Amino acid sequence: MKWREIAFVVLVVASLVGLNATARTPITIWAMGEEGLNLEQITPRFEEENPDIKVRVVQIPWDLAYDKIITAVAGGTAPDLCQVGTTWMAAFASMGALVPLDEFIARSQVVSPANFFPGSWSTAVVGGTVYGVPWYVDVRVLYYRTDLLQAIGVEHPPTTWEELYQVGLKLAEQGEYGLGLSPHWQEFLPFVWQAGGHVLDQTLTRPRVTDPEFIEALEFFVSLFQSGIAPIGEEIDLFEAFRTGFYPMFFSGPWMVKLISQRLPEIEGKWFVATMPKKVTRASFVGGSDWAIFASTPHREECWRFIEFMSRPDVQVDWYRILRALPAVTQAWQDPLLAEDPLMQVFATQLEDTVAPPATPAWEEIAQALTTRVEEAIRGVHTPTEAAQLLDQDIRKILARL
Amino acid sequence: MRARARVGVLFVSPALTLFCLFLVGPILGALILSFTNFNVYAIGNWLRASFVGISNYRELLFEDPLFWVSLRNTFYCVSITVPATIAFSLLAALLLNSKRLRGKAFFRLLYFLPVVTNTAAMAVVWRWLFNYRFGLVNGLLSLLGIKGPNWLGDPAWAIPAIAAMVIWRGIGFNMLIFLAGLQGIPNYLYEAAAIDGANTWAMFRYITLPLLRPTTLLVTVMTLIGHIQLFEEPFIMTGGGPLNATLSVAMYIYRLGFRFFRLGYASSLAYVLFLIIFVVTLIRMKIGRSTFDYAGS
Repeated sequence: MKWREIAFVVLVVASLVGLNATARTPITIWAMGEEGLNLEQITPRFEEENPDIKVRVVQIPWDLAYDKIITAVAGGTAPDLCQVGTTWMAAFASMGALVPLDEFIARSQVVSPANFFPGSWSTAVVGGTVYGVPWYVDVRVLYYRTDLLQAIGVEHPPTTWEELYQVGLKLAEQGEYGLGLSPHWQEFLPFVWQAGGHVLDQTLTRPRVTDPEFIEALEFFVSLFQSGIAPIGEEIDLFEAFRTGFYPMFFSGPWMVKLISQRLPEIEGKWFVATMPKKVTRASFVGGSDWAIFASTPHREECWRFIEFMSRPDVQVDWYRILRALPAVTQAWQDPLLAEDPLMQVFATQLEDTVAPPATPAWEEIAQALTTRVEEAIRGVHTPTEAAQLLDQDIRKILARL
Repeated sequence: MRARARVGVLFVSPALTLFCLFLVGPILGALILSFTNFNVYAIGNWLRASFVGISNYRELLFEDPLFWVSLRNTFYCVSITVPATIAFSLLAALLLNSKRLRGKAFFRLLYFLPVVTNTAAMAVVWRWLFNYRFGLVNGLLSLLGIKGPNWLGDPAWAIPAIAAMVIWRGIGFNMLIFLAGLQGIPNYLYEAAAIDGANTWAMFRYITLPLLRPTTLLVTVMTLIGHIQLFEEPFIMTGGGPLNATLSVAMYIYRLGFRFFRLGYASSLAYVLFLIIFVVTLIRMKIGRSTFDYAGS
């Protein structure tokens, strides 16, 4: 009797040990929106190359993601690895939620700042420390209806502020509006950067919104609305507006390329993209998502290996093939798929001149104040100079609290 | 007696525990938070927050113009929605109580549907209804020869637009309460009045209204408490509105707490809102104190 029990125990222990030996380290990844829905097209390849790691992808809608991540961090249920929107990096890093990656980068063959677009890399650096690695970028360009521009005798898209204004005015006279613009800070800030201005100084402790460059940008932005080129307080579906010529031009990111081709086949061949108009520079807003490792994870090495995998140029090109998101790694752009696409080449050119909003944890609050004051200037509640001065006071109050 | 009480407590304890855990606990937690400067740095590590006494409250009342803006917006909206909701729901209840009406169930459903439908979904639809160029509201107005305003894009019209949706949504629930109140009025009173020669308006004024006082008090208090916490409609329809014209107090709390992470400051605003609702309710109930019963039950 006794040897049967011993045999049973030995069998159980052996099988448990055996299971453990083949058990893979699990890492949970949170990814948003379309990226989350499609990430699992790439993860099997990673698991093949790394048989000791098992990847689990959890998809979260964009509008819930911010709150969900905060809640998870506060409640201790954060994932191992997460896709983080670039404008969120500063807030999460300040919370102490993310792992500093400088050490990992120092000994890595694949990930190094030189491999990425500078504007994109800067989104992952908070207070001098690197907290993330860019995955894909989003940069804003000018979408325009080639046929409508030709109809008013304009052969090439506007390349300077002056041209933007003149073309916009002519288009507005012929149709409804010349440019589908909104007071949102993501549409306003590129003008500030193009004029050579900034919201905060280098140390991120003082506002620079009363500098002449900022006020010049604000005055120009306001003039676009008050002259009738752009709408005040109107809300139209962007696709319908572009199709009917209601908004012959608008600024947006790379995701619109695929969406316009899918939803508006009627204007196939009648639209194209152009780089931002130039003042001192033709800087554009750069966003996208970075990969970040959460401090609470016990599997930092495994998460880093996944980041390295996603940062390889060939994987970046594969990801572009799947979702048409712009690769953050510069080498990926040499692949013919991107190098020989004239539309993508516009994005590539624009990517050389980009600025990201300042990486301060108070950015949401500053952005809100920015949008409010810009709106007030547009509606004539204040002059641009007054609005800039009020904004200066707002930002000082916000920064003083940090 | 003691044994029965113990059994009673035992039966109630699961619900009571949940109540304490998920309601009382966070309420007390928020009170404590309101005396701290809990901000983004403290989310990962609570020790980074510190007690600051009543400085949150002081900043709120004396140094924050947006607080007064949100208060003004909220009360502007409430001053429209509360009387209108009560009036319309009373009207709906009177109509539905009428003996001559056929298809009561259908109308009850019609009025009650907005109450049970998801507010966010309805707000999205209403946003399109109020669209300046293509919305149905302006379309119908143009049939009457009126050029409709830019409802959600004009600071002067944004609150009335939101108020319309809030009223439409609130009618059903109050209507049911009024219906219950109406059915509690004994019929012989109306018959006696009819014999004495009273017309419909007199019956309404001297029988229905006075006897509905307890119900009206309940409906007013509930509607006040609910509407002062206005959040979902402006959140979805305007996001705080053109130039903060539709920023309600509850929306400001959400923005401060969950977008700026100033949870300490947001908690103090939440308590100020609580005090305001408390005082308003107290005033309303003091006014409604004089009730007397015609039927003498």
